[in-house]
Amino acid sequence: MTTPVMLLGYFLVPVFGAMVCAGPAVTRPGVVFGVRVPADHASSPVIRRERDLYVRYTAIVTACATAAVFLSWGHGSWWLGRIILVLELAAELACYLRARRRIAEAKRAGRWFAGQRPAVVADTHWRTEPERVPVRWLIPALAVIAATTSLRLAYGPSAARGPADGFAVVIGQVFVTTLWTGLTLLFYRSRPDLDPADPAASLQWYRRLLRAYARAVLVMVALIDVSLLLHALQVWHVARPPVPLVLLPATAGLLTLIGTALWAGRDRAAAGTARLGRARAAGVTAQDDDRWWKIGLIYVHHDDPAIVVPARFGVGWTLNFGNPSAWLVVAGIVAGPAGLALLLR
Amino acid sequence: MLLSIEPDGPVPIYQQIRDRIVEAIATGELPAGASLPSTRQLAVDLGVNFHTVNKGYDLLRQEGLLRIGRKSGAVVRRDAGSGPPDPGWEDDWAGRLRTLLAEAIAQGLSPDQIGEHGQAAVAGFSLRIEEGA
Repeated sequence: MTTPVMLLGYFLVPVFGAMVCAGPAVTRPGVVFGVRVPADHASSPVIRRERDLYVRYTAIVTACATAAVFLSWGHGSWWLGRIILVLELAAELACYLRARRRIAEAKRAGRWFAGQRPAVVADTHWRTEPERVPVRWLIPALAVIAATTSLRLAYGPSAARGPADGFAVVIGQVFVTTLWTGLTLLFYRSRPDLDPADPAASLQWYRRLLRAYARAVLVMVALIDVSLLLHALQVWHVARPPVPLVLLPATAGLLTLIGTALWAGRDRAAAGTARLGRARAAGVTAQDDDRWWKIGLIYVHHDDPAIVVPARFGVGWTLNFGNPSAWLVVAGIVAGPAGLALLLR
Repeated sequence: MLLSIEPDGPVPIYQQIRDRIVEAIATGELPAGASLPSTRQLAVDLGVNFHTVNKGYDLLRQEGLLRIGRKSGAVVRRDAGSGPPDPGWEDDWAGRLRTLLAEAIAQGLSPDQIGEHGQAAVAGFSLRIEEGA
């Protein structure tokens, strides 16, 4: 029988593949495959060539993995979709690391940062006139949780074996909502992704990204909660919605978030070309911070007090693993589901 | 205000933070009463150690340009329109200016050239204040 989790495993293969493939197109200007490059080398032949090859290779990997998933449909066990997904991501990581190595070698050999004036810019208005979290957008998620709780009380199992029995879905909804709301608050407190060549325009873009991203996250959370509610109706024998219908809201939410990230990335990439021209004219470039980025994706900087920083590849945020508070966030994300599983044993 | 620093430059980062804020006060970009981010927030935004920002803010506090309160945070204490400086400040400043002028003389600049540089710098600040007004 096809379960929601199984179906999700299959669905994620083309979605994640497409996201990874689109990565370079939505990444901030001045960073290519996690390598910081100065404005006057941003369109050098080696970067153009590696970008083209990366897109070609990852598109082939995604197509093969998607074909494998569809061919195995209904024949494999629940774990087959996940194995294909892991293999797909591993192959795409290899494509990324290959492109990254080539560009880092060219940067080193050509001494791209020699004679540059690296700068870091902060806009004090960002803190003195902070962006407000759109709290009202949390109301749909809270309403779905309230509706699920009411339905549990009305139709859930009457012979409860423990305090959490029968409330697993509600606890899951609360966890998902709390986790994403907490992360959104962290994003709002993180430093903005400012371009030293054009800080005012890049701050405007960052504010637009945050507003759109926060709304998309809260819509996604509400839709995941709806999917959990539909699943609960099945478990409580209230209704028998088909599996694709159970997954539909969560899928729509995930696609909304991915679409928002892609839109924001394209918006920035379009503005970035003009910005690189201004940077070349001003002789200003961002600081060469490669030493703090492991494989260009994992940030470890002990002297940086930031917990969350803008991601280097694609659009979004990542943790500063050099800050002990970031490990507390990881512990919270891991401990939540683990605690939930223990509670429901 | 946009606060730009060069982390790999020869001037210490705390000094650069202090200098940029003084310049913003001189141009009118940061008038008396304007709020600045907390030391922790500015350290996060610049990606530098919290103590580095603290040192820069502390210099400004000692110079009477910043007031740092527990509740109000860092606030600009005075600007060009706040009247004459605190007693003794002008003598300290004249001492530092003397060293700066000595550098120019030692490097072979003429008194006229030094005067032109001084006038251009002061005119730049005044122009920005008038534009702001």
